[in-house]
Order: sequence, then C-alpha cells, then structure tokens
Amino acid sequence: MTKREIIWYSLAVLLLIVSIWVSLMMGATPFSSSQIFSAFSGHNDADLNILVQIRAPRILASLVCGGMLAVAGAISQSTFHNRLADPSILGVTGAGSFLILIAGFLVPAFPFDKMIYAFIGGGLTLLFLSSKSLLQNSFKLIIIGVALSLTFSGFQQLFSGDSLVGTSTFNGITWSDTLTLLITGVIGLVAAMILAPWANYLKMSDQQLALRGVSARFIRFWLLAVVVYLSSGATAEIGVIPFVGIIVPNISRYLVGHDYQTIIPLSMLIGSWLLLTIDTIGRTITLPGEIPAATIMTVVGGPFLVWMLWGQKFNEVR
Amino acid sequence: MKLDNVSFSFHAGQPIIQNISADVVPGSILSIIGPNGAGKTTLLKLMANQLKPTSGQISLNDQFLAKMTRKQLASKIAVVSQQNHLYDDMQVIDVVKMGRLAKHHLLATVEDKEVLPYLEMTRTSSLAHRAMSHLSGGQRQRVWIASAIAQEPQYLLLDEPTTYLDIRYQSDLMAVIAELHKKKNMTIVMILHDINQAFKMSDQLWLIRNGRLIAQGAPSRYYDEKLLSDIFNISIHIVTIPNYGHYIIELPADSF
Repeated sequence: MTKREIIWYSLAVLLLIVSIWVSLMMGATPFSSSQIFSAFSGHNDADLNILVQIRAPRILASLVCGGMLAVAGAISQSTFHNRLADPSILGVTGAGSFLILIAGFLVPAFPFDKMIYAFIGGGLTLLFLSSKSLLQNSFKLIIIGVALSLTFSGFQQLFSGDSLVGTSTFNGITWSDTLTLLITGVIGLVAAMILAPWANYLKMSDQQLALRGVSARFIRFWLLAVVVYLSSGATAEIGVIPFVGIIVPNISRYLVGHDYQTIIPLSMLIGSWLLLTIDTIGRTITLPGEIPAATIMTVVGGPFLVWMLWGQKFNEVR
Repeated sequence: MKLDNVSFSFHAGQPIIQNISADVVPGSILSIIGPNGAGKTTLLKLMANQLKPTSGQISLNDQFLAKMTRKQLASKIAVVSQQNHLYDDMQVIDVVKMGRLAKHHLLATVEDKEVLPYLEMTRTSSLAHRAMSHLSGGQRQRVWIASAIAQEPQYLLLDEPTTYLDIRYQSDLMAVIAELHKKKNMTIVMILHDINQAFKMSDQLWLIRNGRLIAQGAPSRYYDEKLLSDIFNISIHIVTIPNYGHYIIELPADSF
C-alpha cells in the first residue's frame, strides 16, 4: 500500500465510525453519547429498544446498500470502459425495480423472492447493453442506458402511480430485511474483492487479452454478473438509489489512482459512508417527517456529477 | 513454424495473402519487408492466430495453430502489436505482470519478483512503478515487449516495433531485441520499415509484395537493386560504406 492509500483508507474508516456514532445519536429521540453507553450497558431498556430495533438495522442497511451500489458502479465502469456507466444510469436497477412491480401484478402469489425479479430484469438489461456495438461506443451506451432507465421509470409510474426515484427509502426497515441485505451484500462484496484484478485486466483490449491467453468475454460476463447481483440485491430491498455508483468510484479513483484493487474497497467504504450520511440527514432534517435517501441523492448527486464533469476535476472522465 | 499454402481474404474480397508457403527457422531473427499494403501485418496476425487463413494451414511444432487453445498459443507465441491501447492507466509492472497470465490461472497473484527479469531485460526496471501514461513512446514500447516476453514464448512477433520512435530510441530498441534473442534464444519475427535495419539484424528475410512471398532467405542474397526496386516500386541503389558494408538507399529515378 502506498502512503496515499493508507491516508485515504484510514480517513474513510474514521469518517465511517464517527458517522455511525452520530447516526445512532440522531433521530426523533436524540441521544447523547453517555445515554447510548448506558443503554448498551443495560440501564435503559426503552432507549436500547430504539437503538437496536429501529436505528441499528437502518444504519446497517444503509451501510451495506451504499457499499453494494458503489462497488457495483466501480465494476460496471471497468467493464464498459466508461466512467459514467453506473447501473442506475444504465437502467439496470430501473429494470429490476420495474420487473418486481410487474411480477407483483402478474404473479400475485409471489412465488419467488423480489431479488430474483430484480436480478432477471437487471441481467437482461446488461446483456442487451454489453452488445458489441455499444461496448465500442460510449456515447451510444450512455444515451441508450439513460433512455432505458427513463422508460422503466415511466412504466413504473404508469402502473403504480409512483415514480421510480424518490420513493426508495430505508424507513421502516426491519432486522429481517436488513439481514437479507447483509447476507446478499457480503456475498456480493466478497466476490467483488476476489474479482477486482479482473477489472484491471479489462483495461487491455479484448485482442490484447486473447494474446495473453485470456478470454475478455469470460471476464466481462462474471464481472457483470457481480454488478447485477449487487445492484439488484440493493434494489430489491430498498429501491433505486441513483448516482452512488457513479460518483463514489470516481472520487475513489481521484483519491487513490487507477488500480481497481484499491478503488473497489475504497469505493465500498465511501459508498457506505455516503449513504449512511444521506439517510441520517434525510431522517432528521424535517422531523417528524423524512426525506427518502433516493431524493437527497438525486438532488445532491445530480449537481455534483455536473460539476465533476464540467470542471474536468476528475481527469479523463469519458 | 510452418506456413503451408496460406491464403487470406476478408469475406470474398480481394485476397490479401496469396499462397504463402514458408518455414520460420527456430531461433532465428526473421524480418518481413515490403511496401505498404503488401499484407505484412495480416501475415503476422495469421501467424499469431489472430486471423484464420481462408485456406492453407499454419503449424507450430507439428501442431496446427487453429487447433490450439488460446492458452497454449499464448505460452508459445507473444505479439507486440503496432498500436497498444489501454482504456485506463496502469502501472508499468502491472502491464508486464499481465504477460504472466499466459502461464497462470486467472485468479493467481503474480509476485513482483516474478516479472523483475523481464523488466531488466527490456531496461525498464527503473520505470516499474511509473504510470504508462507518463512514459515516452520508446519506454512504452519496451514495456509492451516486457509484457510479451513475460509470456516466455518461443516466438516473439513484433509489428513495426520502431514506428513512432526517433533514431536513438530505434537503435536502443533494436539492441534490446538483439539481446533478448541471444539470451532467451527466442525466435523473433518482425515487420520492419527500415530496410537497412532489417538487412543488418535478420538471419532471414521475407520479401512480400501484393500478398505474395517474392523471396525468402539470408539478407546477404538480397542486396539486389533490381529485386528491391521491383518490390518497392521505386529506384533503389546499393552503396558501400567503409567499415559498415552495403547500405540501401532509395533515389528518384532521374538522379543517376
């Protein structure tokens, strides 16, 4: 590890710990640090109940979800050779979310888990997007992705009266939802860490890889499988949350350089922190009401993305 | 490597390579020369199995290239293409490590020390942790060669390795290639633009024109003004420089 990497990793971990603590403190019933300590040491059951049954699952869920979305974005960017190629922009998560809705109508008994529908929807979209002509034309890829994502969002609105973005929230999440998310997330994130070197391999052209005995298609297939798994895992539990997968990996790249073996873990940390922070702000800023994480992410992420691309601050963003 | 009556064309178009039969002598340096559009790069791609012959066969150690797996090919043949593009920046050492993929499975970790010899042989050790985007053209070309020889191939194919390099880098690079050939006993096949470089460096020459192999053999046989003028379709003269030997120059037809 280089000095630069150590600094940013330490900062990210530190920021994460502080944010978790602050998030435990804030809410409809605010706690001081000493109240939290006394609750956890068994002196106040009512407080403990709020902390363990309400705040803890929500914090954990936002952490896992943020990590999943950021890592999915980083891997997606590497496979498409495009730093804007994030599952939410490409319509991958939108397709998953839409299929969950449709499945709810058509198969009301819901024989499968939501995750399966999200996976099928996302997988089909990625399969379509990773066609040869789109892989060679980043402009076309992004435009078609955005069009798809808007289309799914439109259909979602048509069928449910709900827009795709803006309703995704961690509000009311239970331990059982959180555990599902945790198990899904850990499996996907471990797979992502193991396959991180492959994201680097794809920096070479398919031909170059073939000359080295490596099938680029094989690598791309498995990396995209991880992307779909992570992003649909998060979508199935929470809904679509835009921009995390595009902004976070670009920040990580800006901080630690071009190696996906360092970008991916750092993206996970920053993604976790970002979503936790956004959700904590969302649930405390308009008490007793709350703003969904997806709404804040859209409002903050959009302008940030514009600024990021405009100022060329994150060089070579293509 | 043996080429047996190899032809190639794109989808029923004009033939690009026509009925080439030839042997590459193991352990030799072979240069392919000929005018632009003669089919040199296509021929090299056929020899690397990047393209498949429309008819005819290419075999290596009595095994058809077309029948070999990608992995088998990669551990026998390495290629340095004319243009080596990276979609995103990489460190020099990581580019070289990727050559080792030919020998390992996909999830293996390649240790730094495993690729140090290749960096040394190509004089890129001091660049190991530099970013590719910060290198000069000549340095970058040496890194791609390091990555190719990290495959420990029997055959190293180079497509115009000296293009885009100034004269000093050209001779540096040629020195590296000559050294590699000597130390590793690698068979080297390269397309060279500079005829004199090709004549000086090679044990064997293939002269190509319009997709046909016009002549093959030791360079000393081809200091032939008429043959070379025919192939390149310009007026070529051979002069003798003291302490150097023959030197091929091209002149406008009306100069003499």
